Amino acid sequence: MSITLGIFAVILAITLAITYWAARRTSTTSEFYAAANKLTAAQNGFALAGDWCSAAAFLGFSGLTALYGMDGALYALGPLMAFCTVLFLIAEPLRNSGKYTLGDVIRARMQTRTSLLAVISGTIVVNFAYLMPQMAGAGVLVKLLTGISYNSAVIFVGASMIVYVAFGGMLATTWVQIVKAILMLAAGALVLLLALATVHFDPLNFFQDAEARYGPQFLSPGNYLKNPFDQISLGLGFVLGLAGLPHVMTRFYTVPDAKTARRSVVWVMFLAGAFFVATTLFGLAAANLVGQDVIRAADKGGNLTLPLLAQILGGGEGTPGGEIMLGFVSAIAVATILAVVSGLTLSTSGAIAHDFYVNWIKRGQIEEHEEVWVARLSTVVIGVLAIALGILVQGVNVAVLVILAICVAASANFPVLILSLFWRRFNTGGVVGGMLVGLVSSVVLAMIGPGVRGADAIWPLVNPTVVSVPLGFLGAILGTLLTGRDRANEERFEGFSRQVHTGLAAE
Amino acid sequence: MTASAVSTDAPRQGETGAATAAHATLRTLIAAKRSFLVPMTVIFLVGYIGLTALAGFAKGFMAHKVIGAVNVGFVLIAANYLLAWILAIIYVRVANAIFDPLAKKALAAMNETEGSR
Repeated sequence: MSITLGIFAVILAITLAITYWAARRTSTTSEFYAAANKLTAAQNGFALAGDWCSAAAFLGFSGLTALYGMDGALYALGPLMAFCTVLFLIAEPLRNSGKYTLGDVIRARMQTRTSLLAVISGTIVVNFAYLMPQMAGAGVLVKLLTGISYNSAVIFVGASMIVYVAFGGMLATTWVQIVKAILMLAAGALVLLLALATVHFDPLNFFQDAEARYGPQFLSPGNYLKNPFDQISLGLGFVLGLAGLPHVMTRFYTVPDAKTARRSVVWVMFLAGAFFVATTLFGLAAANLVGQDVIRAADKGGNLTLPLLAQILGGGEGTPGGEIMLGFVSAIAVATILAVVSGLTLSTSGAIAHDFYVNWIKRGQIEEHEEVWVARLSTVVIGVLAIALGILVQGVNVAVLVILAICVAASANFPVLILSLFWRRFNTGGVVGGMLVGLVSSVVLAMIGPGVRGADAIWPLVNPTVVSVPLGFLGAILGTLLTGRDRANEERFEGFSRQVHTGLAAE
Repeated sequence: MTASAVSTDAPRQGETGAATAAHATLRTLIAAKRSFLVPMTVIFLVGYIGLTALAGFAKGFMAHKVIGAVNVGFVLIAANYLLAWILAIIYVRVANAIFDPLAKKALAAMNETEGSR
């Protein structure tokens, strides 16, 4: 415990120093939301890895593999495949056509207040659905890893993220994410090296040993996700949902041009992808070296798999090596959560302060210094709200909220974004239709499914993405066709398209 | 989509030759992107969503052993990692070699249009 706290204190000191440095370089709106578009591809790639790998990825994937075998490996693959969608279809058009937020893109395309309001709702629902389980997870994890109470842990995490974002804006958020990504990859490489050393550097032995101990069923699919459609929903949720997550989109505004946005995606695909592959090996190694019983006894969901594996590889419980490894990995798990919630808070502030207050209420008529002030203030409000929600949901099973966040992103935000970028006839009716149908169908189906109602479920799937995505697209297309043609909007599509594909007029 | 695109993209009255050229380059760029990105997207979706479908509906096939304890499922998972990385490299190469020069050309043509106004 004390080693964890010690290592974490060092990480915290580094992030606060970064925030102090960043705060002195953050005074304009562009600096606050987009780090003045000055990041390099490598910087943004590392930051993307820090932004996208939540505790679910850092701790959860290894745990799922250790307890459920192949289903865990399938789970870990999704978040990498998801970047194919982002790379091919989303990253560069977003960079070219937006300024700070998804709302900016839709505003440039539709130029209507109704469509902006629809997109703001999509962003806020997705971000809070994502933020709440992160806060609750932070409470549980920090308590498990350091011994402080759940409420203090949530308040500590919330206060840190408010400080990073309110003072240091995107620059501090970015560097907190970069530091976290480097630590995460370093810890991953060290654990992988030590784990491979136990099997004479032949990873096939992990599989051999796991089969010998747990039988061939362990390495077969279906141990975790019983319903085949849930398996497909998970995959579809990742490949379309990532492209609809506002806090990931925001990262593409931090680079100067489309080419840098493209290169930063390739960075994250190799950095995060390598880590995801490793989680599968960690899971199998932990099942063999730590044992499923010990993993389950420490945490039912397997979330302590990686710290336990690190402890054993370092020499075991009570040895200096074992305790240092445990402390190192645990401290990084906390840093992981801080990096993710900071990104979420900044992007929510973009939706509330920039999209809603400045562009919807004030119609863009606002002084620069006032906009920055509103942005900082909204960060504090969002942070306090996140802390309150985190404390309220203690003990509630919030895992379903993560599924819901990705499901809404895939079923509402993604159809609206992709059709805005590439379909000439798409109009405000379509934006509203897609948002409404995608959002409502995701929420309703998740609420009546086994994820919320357990055995009383009147709908068979935990994850409704496989149904709600087609519904969201249907809503967007019907909304467009039923509301009649918007000729002025279609005329403007040529100019918008030029911006999407060449970056002309992009700020 | 093409029919309506042609009707609205056709040079309007009073537009200069440079504007027509700008429209044409932009259309070439969009067409080049479409003919490359649609197949790329289909390939990775078939590869990955196909894998999840197999995991859901063909459990026996996925559990079939290939090398030692490693079964078809894990081989396909490994293949998907490679697929994502290879497609990403191909995309970047094509974008650098084909899309960027076309976008540059379209931009140059547009600047010329702006200048002649």
